[in-house]
Amino acid sequence: MTSTLIYLCGGVSLWVLGLHALLVHRNALRRIMAVNVMGSGVFMVMVALASRDSAVDPVLQALVVTGLVVAASATAFTLRLATADPLDEDDQERK
Amino acid sequence: MITAWTTLLPPAIILSSLLPGLVIFSLREDQVKLRIGLNLFAVILKLCLVGVMLWGVNQGLEFRFAIGFLPGGGLVLQGDATSLQFVTLSSVLWLATTVYAIGYLEDSPLRSRFFGYFSLCVSATVGLALAGNLVTFLLFYELLTLATFPLVVHRGTKKALHAGRVYLAYTLGGGALLMMGIALLHSITGSPEFQAGGYLGPLLDAHKPSLILAFALMISGLGVKAALIPLHGWLPLAMVAPAPVSALLHAVAVVKAGAFGIVRVVYDVYGVEQVQTLGLATPLLALAAATILYGSFKALQQQELKKRLAYSTISQVSYITLGVALMGPIAAVGALAHLVHQGLMKVTLFYCAGNFAETLGIHRINEMNGVGKRMPLTMAAFTLSALGMIGVPPTAGFVSKWYLGLGALEVGQDWVLLVLVLSGLLNAAYFLPLIYRGWFAEPPTQWPEEHALGNGRPGLGETHWMLLAPVLFTTLLALLAGVLAGSELSPLAWSQLIINRQFGL
Amino acid sequence: MSAALLSLLIPLLTALILLLVRVRAGSLVILANATSLGCAALALHQVVINGAQQLNLGGWETPLGIRFELGPLTALLLVFTALIHLLVAIYAQRSRHSQTRDTDFWPLSCLLHASLGALWLSRDLFNWYVTLELLGLVAVAMVILSGPRSHVPALRYLLLSLAASLCYLLGVALLYGQYGVLDIRALAGVTSNDQVTRLALLLLTLGLMIKAALWPLHQWLPAAHAAAPTAVSALLSALVVKGPLFILWMLWDNVAPEELARQAGIFFAVAGIAALVSGGLAALRTPWIKVLVAYSTVAQLGYALLALGLLLYWQDATMSIALWLFVIAHGLAKVSMFLAAGEIQATLGSRHVSALKGASQTMPIAMFAFAVAGGSLIGLPPSGGFVAKWVLLQPLFLEPARWPWALGVLLGTLASAGYVFRVVAIAFDRADPNPPDYDPDVSAQWLAMLPALIVWAMALISEPLIEWFQEVGL
Repeated sequence: MTSTLIYLCGGVSLWVLGLHALLVHRNALRRIMAVNVMGSGVFMVMVALASRDSAVDPVLQALVVTGLVVAASATAFTLRLATADPLDEDDQERK
Repeated sequence: MITAWTTLLPPAIILSSLLPGLVIFSLREDQVKLRIGLNLFAVILKLCLVGVMLWGVNQGLEFRFAIGFLPGGGLVLQGDATSLQFVTLSSVLWLATTVYAIGYLEDSPLRSRFFGYFSLCVSATVGLALAGNLVTFLLFYELLTLATFPLVVHRGTKKALHAGRVYLAYTLGGGALLMMGIALLHSITGSPEFQAGGYLGPLLDAHKPSLILAFALMISGLGVKAALIPLHGWLPLAMVAPAPVSALLHAVAVVKAGAFGIVRVVYDVYGVEQVQTLGLATPLLALAAATILYGSFKALQQQELKKRLAYSTISQVSYITLGVALMGPIAAVGALAHLVHQGLMKVTLFYCAGNFAETLGIHRINEMNGVGKRMPLTMAAFTLSALGMIGVPPTAGFVSKWYLGLGALEVGQDWVLLVLVLSGLLNAAYFLPLIYRGWFAEPPTQWPEEHALGNGRPGLGETHWMLLAPVLFTTLLALLAGVLAGSELSPLAWSQLIINRQFGL
Repeated sequence: MSAALLSLLIPLLTALILLLVRVRAGSLVILANATSLGCAALALHQVVINGAQQLNLGGWETPLGIRFELGPLTALLLVFTALIHLLVAIYAQRSRHSQTRDTDFWPLSCLLHASLGALWLSRDLFNWYVTLELLGLVAVAMVILSGPRSHVPALRYLLLSLAASLCYLLGVALLYGQYGVLDIRALAGVTSNDQVTRLALLLLTLGLMIKAALWPLHQWLPAAHAAAPTAVSALLSALVVKGPLFILWMLWDNVAPEELARQAGIFFAVAGIAALVSGGLAALRTPWIKVLVAYSTVAQLGYALLALGLLLYWQDATMSIALWLFVIAHGLAKVSMFLAAGEIQATLGSRHVSALKGASQTMPIAMFAFAVAGGSLIGLPPSGGFVAKWVLLQPLFLEPARWPWALGVLLGTLASAGYVFRVVAIAFDRADPNPPDYDPDVSAQWLAMLPALIVWAMALISEPLIEWFQEVGL
């Protein structure tokens, strides 16, 4: 139970750290990383909750896998948007 | 089949101006003949339909049309005696004003838009008159605001836009208050149909604070359009609109909509007894009396003809509210008769002011010297209507004021007589100098801005015939309403009929 | 139920086809939207006759599987979504000012349609997370269609939206950890008013409020909605912000313990009135046409928030009806308003409100559409906005202690009248009208008018609709 608690606290603190960074920083890349840290925090909480009991909860693990897919694609999209040169019109056309 | 046509007649009366109005919007500027044709066709069709309804009501037929809208209150249109009086007034004055507007706006831009909104405005007025319950009344009350706004700002100048914004601020605010009041009543009993003697009697004890608040909200919402102080600020500003709009707005549509609404709320929603029990009659009476005197005082100070007429309207419309607030049958007859009488006289005055402005460029009072020699017919109409406003016998204005005075004595509010006398003196003080100037002062060698309308000679050709004919027509009606007040067809007799039903006499 | 699923699957398939064959055929999307609308209407018809229907996807029961539920509100929202998509698609295809004719707008709008459909049908916290994420990503992708200028607000929108999703997800994790279920119906019976539940609800609420741009978390909305292409702005304001609102309403109305719901209700109601006033004032001040319309969305969402708050505070089910009538009326009116505003600013060649001088002459139909849609936002009878406000007002007048809330509604009405007529009055300025850059496009202006006419026509069915809602519940 204590190890679950440690992981839970770790997850929540990661989430809070990420949120803090998102609010404080203005640089796009830092903010994207902050969002990712938040995501990792949530997933950690979920994994910790899944392994509370001796039998691992499959639902939560499935959720984490789904969540990871969503997070990865969202990050890719964010990076593409953040790095697009605002003055490059061709870039727009290609999209 | 009989039921079918009596059901469809009320919406048909509204649609007879609404649909042509929508078609007129789509016309090009150069389709003048088609537009005029449509306008006149709609006017005459509406008059015929109203005539049929008048005949039907005399025969004892019931005209009622209802569709679902809100739970507890559908859209109801019905032709009862009270609504018919207002419908007839608006339709007749619409005829006159349409002819006048065609002459007035000849060759000016954006006429399709003007006549489109003009028709919508009349549709909203008629709908409001035919409304059978508060929800329906609210609907047309708001539509009237929307339809009149483009007319007020029609000229599109800075001044017009300012007036339009002020107008909207007042009327939309008033509309919101009215909506709140109606919603409050609706939450208590729904919105049943108007009913002589009111329908709130049984609820009096259980919902006293709600009923008082609803009355205050509704009267302040209606008071904006009826130009009760301190809600009258939009009216003098709205004078920037073209003369036919001033005539229609000030004599019929907007201010009368407010006054008519007060009549409905007091007589057909609350009922005279309930208003008295709630102690609401005295504040309303005081407000009306104060408005009468204030309007007259302000009118005296104005140097612009239209502004003077505007303040005079503020004062005169409140006679209706005054008569209603006196809560006695005789005063009530005076109030309802004044609704028609004031409409006829004020519309004439505004037509005349418009004629002076269009023909000779006269806008200010000191420019009116000797205008009677150049435009005797218009000046004669102006004189008759002004005398009516003052209340000189045997004009229509005298008849309604006489009834108001008798009514005040009947219910023991003697001080109201004082208000009436004082206001009459003030009316004389601001109208008689105009009459004197027009007839007896020396005309200037050069009029401010003379236009070649008509043949330029005094008499039937003194201005464009389309500007002159409506003036003569409404003057004649106003005269007949006064002289023949005792006959069965007069507005007075009709008002008597309504009030007899109301008070169960 | 199969009709409802079809209404979701048709746009999804269309999106996939468009992406695979790389064509940007607007007409195909219009066809898909029309079919989807037909299916949704059929689903609504079935619900009217047979009542609510359930579906367990893949035959799995709820603890493990995903449950779809087709209730009265869901069916109506499916129709609403398909209708708005159809109207906007026709405009986007037809108007040369839509900025979206040959772009990725078409597959994206289909994806948006599908994710909204899935959101309305889901009754599961995690499934909602997935639809929310989809909704957010698609919405941002659509915002940047208007070009590089929109990148900054779009990125801001995206990051906030992601953060909000993670906020929501943490809340979901906490609730699952506490109760071991995700299905809303299963949760409804078991929640208690303890610390974890409160924290979880707080996180869920924060995430959803950011996504729905509910006051005071609305700051991202005006820039993002104003930067998007016209057709996209219309979809975003009319539909996208309503998705999170739906979840918020479901959550608080069903899951939250009653005691907590009452406390939160006050907060929501006050925030609603604050939104009405502050959104209205911001719309009165802004110099840009589309920002004005976007702030009006913030203000109008205040009505929904007020209805939600009072629903929770008084536990009065009529407020739910008011809430959803507001959503539908606002959606239709806002589509009309954005299309009209976009058409006007593209034709007159300026984004400034002051450029509208004389627009009542140069672009009468678009201006009329703006005014008619505005009439519904103000709540003038007999529009849909009026009906919604009427339903909201009725319980407010039941006892004197509730009257102050009505004052909030009055303020909101006056503020909306202020910003609508601010635009309309300028359009009547004939002193020095702003000549159009291009020929005004009359048929596109009529397309902008169409949704406004529909919202006024809502009055015709309002009585049976309200009575049906009262009878079956939402």
